[in-house]
This record gives sequence, structure tokens and C-alpha cells, in this order.
Amino acid sequence: MMPATTGLTPRLRHVLAAQLRATGAALRGPAVVAGVSFALLTVLVLIERADNSARVIAFHPEHQVLPGLLGLLLPFGVWRGEAPFGRGVLWTLPVDRRTHALAKVFAGWAWLMALVTLLVCWLLALVVASDGQVLAEEVRRIAPTAATARSGSLGPDAAAFVHTSAQPLLWLVPFTASTGTYLFASALALGTRRPLAWVSGVVGGTLLLVTLAEAANADDLLRQIDGGLKALFYGRYGVDTLLTARTESLQGSATLSNGDTVVVWSALPDLTQWAVATAIWIAAGLASLWAAAFRHREARPSSRWSARFLAGKDAVGRQSQQGIRLNGRKVEQ
Amino acid sequence: MSGADAVRTEALSKRYRRDTALRAVSLRVPETAIYVLAGANGAGKSTVMKVLMNLERADEGTAEVLGMDSVRCGPQARAQMGYVPEDARHPYGWMSSSQLLAHIAAYHRSWDVSYADRLRRTFELRLDRKVGTLSKGEARRLQLILALAHRPAVLLLDEPTDGLDPVVRSRTLAVLAEHLADGPTSVLVATHQIHEFETLADYVGILRDGSLIAQLSRDELPNVVGRYRVEVPEGWTATRELRSAGVRGNPVREAEWTLVGHRGDLIDRLTVTGALVHSVRPVSFDDAVVALIAHQVTP
Amino acid sequence: MLPIALDPSDLRPLYLQIMDELRRCLATGALQAGDPVPSVRELAAHLVVNPRTVLQAYQELERAGVLYVKRGQGTFIAPSALVDRQILAQDVAQRAVLDARRHGLTTAELVRAIQRTTADEDDEPLVSALGKRQGVRK
Repeated sequence: MMPATTGLTPRLRHVLAAQLRATGAALRGPAVVAGVSFALLTVLVLIERADNSARVIAFHPEHQVLPGLLGLLLPFGVWRGEAPFGRGVLWTLPVDRRTHALAKVFAGWAWLMALVTLLVCWLLALVVASDGQVLAEEVRRIAPTAATARSGSLGPDAAAFVHTSAQPLLWLVPFTASTGTYLFASALALGTRRPLAWVSGVVGGTLLLVTLAEAANADDLLRQIDGGLKALFYGRYGVDTLLTARTESLQGSATLSNGDTVVVWSALPDLTQWAVATAIWIAAGLASLWAAAFRHREARPSSRWSARFLAGKDAVGRQSQQGIRLNGRKVEQ
Repeated sequence: MSGADAVRTEALSKRYRRDTALRAVSLRVPETAIYVLAGANGAGKSTVMKVLMNLERADEGTAEVLGMDSVRCGPQARAQMGYVPEDARHPYGWMSSSQLLAHIAAYHRSWDVSYADRLRRTFELRLDRKVGTLSKGEARRLQLILALAHRPAVLLLDEPTDGLDPVVRSRTLAVLAEHLADGPTSVLVATHQIHEFETLADYVGILRDGSLIAQLSRDELPNVVGRYRVEVPEGWTATRELRSAGVRGNPVREAEWTLVGHRGDLIDRLTVTGALVHSVRPVSFDDAVVALIAHQVTP
Repeated sequence: MLPIALDPSDLRPLYLQIMDELRRCLATGALQAGDPVPSVRELAAHLVVNPRTVLQAYQELERAGVLYVKRGQGTFIAPSALVDRQILAQDVAQRAVLDARRHGLTTAELVRAIQRTTADEDDEPLVSALGKRQGVRK
């Protein structure tokens, strides 16, 4: 079926530009609220620093869980007003539906990167304001095992001290973490009719399973679930690796024998591990997004063709506008 | 009139779980014609339009706009359509009217900014308010601007005057007539307000329970609906077919009915039963459409 | 805008009604030879009809020699346009006869009634006669 007039649909770059503007407008409201909260937070932090300027803040954007959270929540703002499975605006416009949905997701991602950049700059500003050094060498306490680290039996010099230079590559973590969570959340928002139902369903289902297993004293099952969840979240390629390059789970605080509370690491963050995990998660995110967009594709060739086959070309010719049709039969003049 | 159709569906069927929304609907809107689609609530008028916009997928049959399949050439077809949906509220409630106009304008190369501005002034719409805070009438007017401003070749209007006060209604119809004069436009309008489109309509289609039971040009209406003045003998009763055509009550000597069916056919049927047909007069467009909607389907 | 309006109870095709209305304007002097007629757009918006219908009416009137199109300037009443008063009267008479028949009157009764109505009038056009009548009544 050749289109009667080609060239009337908007160019992709215009679609992207329009989506960037629209998404920006949609996010403006929540952004203002967030901005105000951040301003307050900054004030509080600065006040705290003024009172107690002992510790120097190091620049570790990878320690923040906030970018990941931001990526998870942003699709709510991006898809504001749109109902992919109901009354929306995207599908009424002269753009291929799948392309359009992906354009919107991309526009949201662009804004996400901008927001994460702002966040990282804010952290940088805090560090500089506290006379910290961005590229300073750090000394970290490494404990032989995680168990020992928490026991409180360590002497002040018991752990191994490691000098680590700054790992600028890890500054990419907020960007990759937020991208990863954003891809999954976007797939959920685009591909399911009730995304919140899915989330609560999965979480609720897991809780139910755990409760039942506990009640039934199914220790093996519990161990398996526990192991699985631990691997998923804190494993080598788990969620924490994506979100914080495992810095969240690798470090902990321990009470020394002399009463001080210090930060202890069970291992140093592994860059290769982080890169591989990020690649896997982002690939998975892209795959989910692709599947979600696939649900909204315009044509379903199979049903079209079978209908034409069954109807036959003749049926098309037999009907005519000429004359009056009443009750399905022609009324002769 | 050329043979080209602006809108054409062929045996279009759509089912929702257990309900059948459309049954083998073969609708034709010739180019530059104004086609009024009438029918009771839930008859399927909105569904036809949604299928043409590819907002709903038909289970069987095809739908074409200007020769383009509504599914396979969806974007190209939609570029040539202006759609006013049934629901007046616009989903982007958080945008201001001017932002929304600019957003939609970016998608249409043929968007006429001065025309959009003229329409805004005609409809007395302020642009600074958020779309979600507009009243039903204002929201409707905004949707009309969105549909008309890019001068599409085909207009799909689902109850366009619903929610508008009388003054704005007549202004809307005048705007529509002017719009049609500016360039060749075909219109498919679903409405309950048949009398409003009485002077504009060229064709009328009646949907009942998803089936297109009648589709004819305005000039053909007098051949199919008429006001029959009849004289009947004592004790005359109508046959089942005549009752389906619209005969009501138990006439005593004289009766007048609005009947649906081929004129010669009906006169024959009446005469055969002993009635004498005095006259058959044409009926107003509004009354004719109502009669068509209401008449019983002859088995 | 000319005093053109469509009668909702008139069930003839719209383009015929529009043609009649223009002829009526010509007969009453609202439009005179050489005057411009409303553009298709204007008239369509005023009457709320499909512009194609107005175009059809104008084309028929052009064919009948009542209108002519000056390229780039618009449509005008032809300088030589004569309203065939006979045709106009015929149309009016036809409508009256149909109306009479609806009320069960014979043509003869109608003619007698017309004669009675216009008994004390001269051969003036009916329009001004009616006007005078209403003036008298008030």
C-alpha cells in the first residue's frame, strides 16, 4: 500500500526535539521541588561543616545510590499524561509508534544525564567547599574477611592499610547506574498496563514466598531464596555493582578495640567487574525496553494477511457506494 | 465526483472480549464529502474513528484513509488527519495551552500559525492557562484548533460540539464551513446533534450495534424515508413488515407515519393490505435520520 | 451580508434553495446587475453548508447566465441577468399548490382564496403589498 503523499511525516530530529521540550516541561514541576529540597540539603550540609570541619570530604560520586533512584523514578515524570495502553497523545501523532516511544525514552534519558551531571557537580562543589582534594590518594583499611570486620575485635593497626589512588573511571558510575535503572523503569512504564502492580506483585510475591517458607520451616528453600537474593543484590554482578560498583556493600563500619568507629573494606572495588556488570545490566535494560516498544508496533502483518486471504479480492470489488444500502441489502432505485 | 474515497473501510470488525463493537462495517466517505455518522451510544461510532487512527486494531477487515492503510501507513495517514476524540479532556493537563499548540505544531509541516491564531481568537481561548484547568467547552475548542490548524485533508470529529454552549456551537459550525471552503477537506463526523449538521451533511451512515445498517447520500434520503398519509379501511391491521417499516398504533380511518423503505415497495405493501396511500412527502434530514436509527431491521 | 437564509422546512436539495434565494434577492432588488455576490467561502460560512454546495449553485447560475466570474476579482451578477419572473412565479405557485393539497384544498379553492386576498390590491409585487398590509395592521 503506497502512501499517497510521502514526506508529510515529521523528520526524526524534529520529533526528538519536540520530545525533549515536552519531557522537559513535564519534569519541570518535580524538578523544582527537588531543586528546593537540594538547596535546603546544601544549607544543612554547609551548616554541619561549619560546626565540625574536621573531616575532609572525598569525591566519591560512585558511593551515591541517588542516581540509581533517580533513574528509577524519572519515567513517572517522563510518561506523565501518557497512557501507552489507553488515551494518550503519542499514538495520535504522525510518527511510527515504536519510534515515537523510543524517542520519548531517549529524551527522558537526555534529561536524566543532565540531572545526574548536576548532582555530580553539586558533590564536587561540596568537596571543593570543604577543602577536599578530588584526586587525592586515599588510605583504606582492608579487613581479611567481612566477618572479622564487624566483630569489634580488631586492634587499631590490625587491618591491612592500602593506599589507593583516585579511580576517575568510577566517576562514571552515577551515569551508568542511572541509565541502567532508567532503562528498566522505562520498559515497565511503556510495556505494562499497570507497572506499579507488577512491582508490588514481584515484591509481594517474594515476601509471601519467604513467609510461607519460614512458616513451613523449609530451610533449604529459605537458604536458596536468601542466596539468590544476595547474589542478585550484592553479588559480583548484582544490582549493587551497577549502582555503586559495589562500594556500598564492600564497605562497612567496625568498632575497634579502642572504641573508635572506622570504615573498613572487605575488598577493593574491582573495575573490570563493574564494567562487565554494567554492560550486562544495560544490555538487559535495552532488551526489556525493546520488548516493551515491540508491544506497541503499528502493524501486525500476520493478522492483516490472513484477513485479506480469507476475504478475497472479490469481496472488495463487490461493495459499492452507488445506490442505497439498507439493512445490508441494496435498495433499488 | 471522482471515484476516490477519503475514508474507506472494508468489512471492518472489532471485538472486545465478549462484545462485538464493529461487525463487517464497510463505510465510504467520498473525497470532499461531509459524512455524518449517526447511531445510539455504544453503536461503534468512536471505535470506527479509533481504528482509522490506528488507536485500536481491528480484528478483521481493512481501513484506509486517502488510499493509505491505517495500519501499514499509519504515520502517513495520521499526518493527513485531524482528530477530535470523544473525551474533551486532553491528557497533557500539565501543559499550558500555548505549549500544547507549539508541541503539536512541531509534528505537522503544514501547521498554519496565523490560522491557529485566528481560530484561537474566534474561539476566544486564552493560551496561558494549563490545559487541565480548562472547562469542558474550552478544552473542546482547543482540540478543534489542534485538529484544524494543520489543515488536514481528512477530519475525524467525534461529537465535536459536545459540551459547547449554543453560541459557541454555531460559531464552531461556521468555522467548520469556512475551513472547508479554504481547501478540499473530507469530514467524518459522529454526532447525536443531527440537526446541527443538517445543512452541512452530504452523506449519512447509521450504525446500530456495530453494523452499518444504512449508508446513503443526502439526496437519496427521500427515496428511503417518507411521510406516508394513508387511509385505511375498518379493522385494518398492519403486517409485521409494515410495523418494522414504522407503522404504529391501530389507525381508525386516517393515519400518517414516517416509514423507512423503498417507496414503491412500501406503497405496494400498503395497497395490498387494503390501505390507500394519499401522499408521500419528504421528511426533514433530522427526522429521516432518527427514523433510520429507530426502524426495525427487516429479517 | 445579504438576507439569504435557508428554510429548514424546505426539503429540496440545498443547491436549488441557494439558487432560489439568489434569484429572490435579484427580484426584490437586494442584488442588482453588476453587483458582487458573496464569495463561496463567505456564503458557505454564513449558511453553514458544504462549500461544494454553494459552488454547485453558483455554477448552475453561471450556466443560466445569472452570474459571471471575473478572474481574480470574484463572482458578480451578470449585467444582462434577467430574473425570469415567470419561472419564479411558477416556483412559488408550485409550492402553494402543494401546500394547499396537504391541507385537503382543491386548486380551485386556492385560486379563489388568492383572488380574495389580493382583491383590494393593485398589480403590485406581493412583497410590498404584504408590507403595506402589516403596516396597516399595526
